[in-house]
Amino acid sequence: MHTSLKATLLLGAGVVLAGCNGPRRIRERPIMTNGDRTASQERMVANAAADGVADNAMLMQTRDSVYAKAVATCRGSICASVVKGEISLGMTPSQAMAATRTAPAAWTIRESGAATVMVPRVLGNSPKDATGEVVMVQFDDDRVNAVSYRETQGIRVVSSAADTTTDGRATAMADALIREGDQFNAAGDRARALDRYDRALALKRADPMLEYKVATMLDLQLRPVEAQIRYQRFLQSLEIERIRAQGDANAQLADAIARAQQRLIVLERQAPAPQAAPQPTPQTTPPPPTTPPPTPPPTREPGQTR
Amino acid sequence: MTITTTVAIRRLAAFGLAAVTLAACNNRRVTRVDPASVTDLSGRWNDVDSKLVANTLIDQTFAGPWSAQYASAHGGTPPTVIVGSFRNRTLEHVPIGMFVKDLERAYVNSGRVRLVASRDERTEVRDEREDQQTNASAEARARIGKENGANYMLQGDVQAIEDAEGREKVVFYQIDAFLVDLESNQKVWIGQHKIKKYIDRRRIGW
Repeated sequence: MHTSLKATLLLGAGVVLAGCNGPRRIRERPIMTNGDRTASQERMVANAAADGVADNAMLMQTRDSVYAKAVATCRGSICASVVKGEISLGMTPSQAMAATRTAPAAWTIRESGAATVMVPRVLGNSPKDATGEVVMVQFDDDRVNAVSYRETQGIRVVSSAADTTTDGRATAMADALIREGDQFNAAGDRARALDRYDRALALKRADPMLEYKVATMLDLQLRPVEAQIRYQRFLQSLEIERIRAQGDANAQLADAIARAQQRLIVLERQAPAPQAAPQPTPQTTPPPPTTPPPTPPPTREPGQTR
Repeated sequence: MTITTTVAIRRLAAFGLAAVTLAACNNRRVTRVDPASVTDLSGRWNDVDSKLVANTLIDQTFAGPWSAQYASAHGGTPPTVIVGSFRNRTLEHVPIGMFVKDLERAYVNSGRVRLVASRDERTEVRDEREDQQTNASAEARARIGKENGANYMLQGDVQAIEDAEGREKVVFYQIDAFLVDLESNQKVWIGQHKIKKYIDRRRIGW
C-alpha cells in the first residue's frame, strides 16, 4: 500500500513536470500600449511636400538653364526641333536635353575623344521626345549623329535624315516586324508569322515580296481563297515585263512570281473563284474552307507511266 | 410598529431597490478622445493598426527614389498613380480603404505624385461627362478624351498569421504595397509594414 502511494506520487510528479515542459516564452516588452499616441500624418505629408517643392525647384532651374542655352545656340530646323520636342541629327547635348525637356540629372554622359554617348540614368525611366522613348543618343564632335528609340519591336536607330521622317519610322518598324515574322516562320509558328507580316503590310503597303510572304503563309495554313487573292495582288503589283527584262538581278522575285502563278493555277482548280473581289484586310477571320474534300489518288495500272 | 407602517416601509424599500436596479442598467458613458490615441479592446484590427500602416507606407513611399527619378526623366512632371486592387487575405474584417485613402491623401497633398480616379470612381465621372455632352452648354461642357493616363498602379495585400494557446493569442499582420509600371510591369517601389499583437485574455485582472 505504501509502495503504491509512492509510485502514484512519483508518476503524478512526472506528469506535472512533463506538463510544464512547454515552449520557453520570453516576455517581450510592449512597444505600444493603451494611452500612447500615433505619429501625426500631417507633419509627414508637409515634410514630403516641402522636400518635393525644393527638389522640383532645383530641377526646373537646371532644366530652364539648359533650355536657354539650347535655344541661344540653335538655328533653323534645329530650333524648330527643340521647340517641337524632337531630337534631330546635328543637335548639341544641351539641345538634345532641351528637346526631351530634361536636365543633366536624367542622363549618364560618357565621353571618349570626339565621341559622346548619352544614356538614361535610370533605364526604366527613359526620357521621351516627340517620337518615342530615347535609349541612347550618340554624338560626334558634340553633334547628334545617331538616336536610338525603344519601340515595341525592339530598338530603332535613327542615323540619317531619311530615318527621321514618318515614312522612315514606318519602314523601320515594318522591317522589324518582317524580321520577327521570318523568325516565327523558321520556328514553324505560321500563325504568328502571318500576324507579323500582316502588321508589316499595314505599314509598308507597296512591298510585293511582303504580299508574297503573306500569300505563302495563307497557302500553308490551308486558307486557299485568301491565298488566291493575295497571290493575285502580288502579281498585279508587279511590272512583270520589266522584271523579266532585268533578269538575274531580280531572280528571287522572278522565282516568287513563277511559284505564285503555279499556286494560283492549283488553287483555281481546287476552289471556285471568289464572287466579287473583296478587299482583304489584315487580321480578318478566314472564310469557311471551300476546299473540296480530298479525292483518292487515281489508281495506276501496273507498268503505267505518266 | 403598525402593520400599515410595515407595509409602507416594505413598499418603499422595493421601490428604492427597483430604482437602484434601473439606475445601474444605465451604465452607458460616451466620451470623445483624441483620434491619435491608442485604444486596444479586443485585439482585433483597429484604427491604430490602420494609422500605423498608413504612416509607414507614407514614410516609405516618399523615402523611395521612384517619384524623383520619374520627375527627373520627364522634365519635372510628377508621376501619375492609379489605385488598383488592395486585397485582404486575412480571415478578419480589415477596412483596407482607410489606409489606402490616407496614402492617396498624402500623395495628392505632397504635390510629388498625381493621382487619377480608380476604376470604380471614374465610372461615375464618365457617366456625368457623357451626360454633359447632351445637356450642358458648349462652353461648360467637359471634353472627351482628355483623361490623364496613369504611369503606375498601386496594388497590395494584407495577410495575417494567428497562433493561440489557451487564453493567449498572437496575431501577426503583414501589409505589402507596391507600385507597378503600367508599361513595363516593373515594380518601382515596395512598401511593407508588420504588426505583431500579443493578446492575453485574463479572467481576473486589473
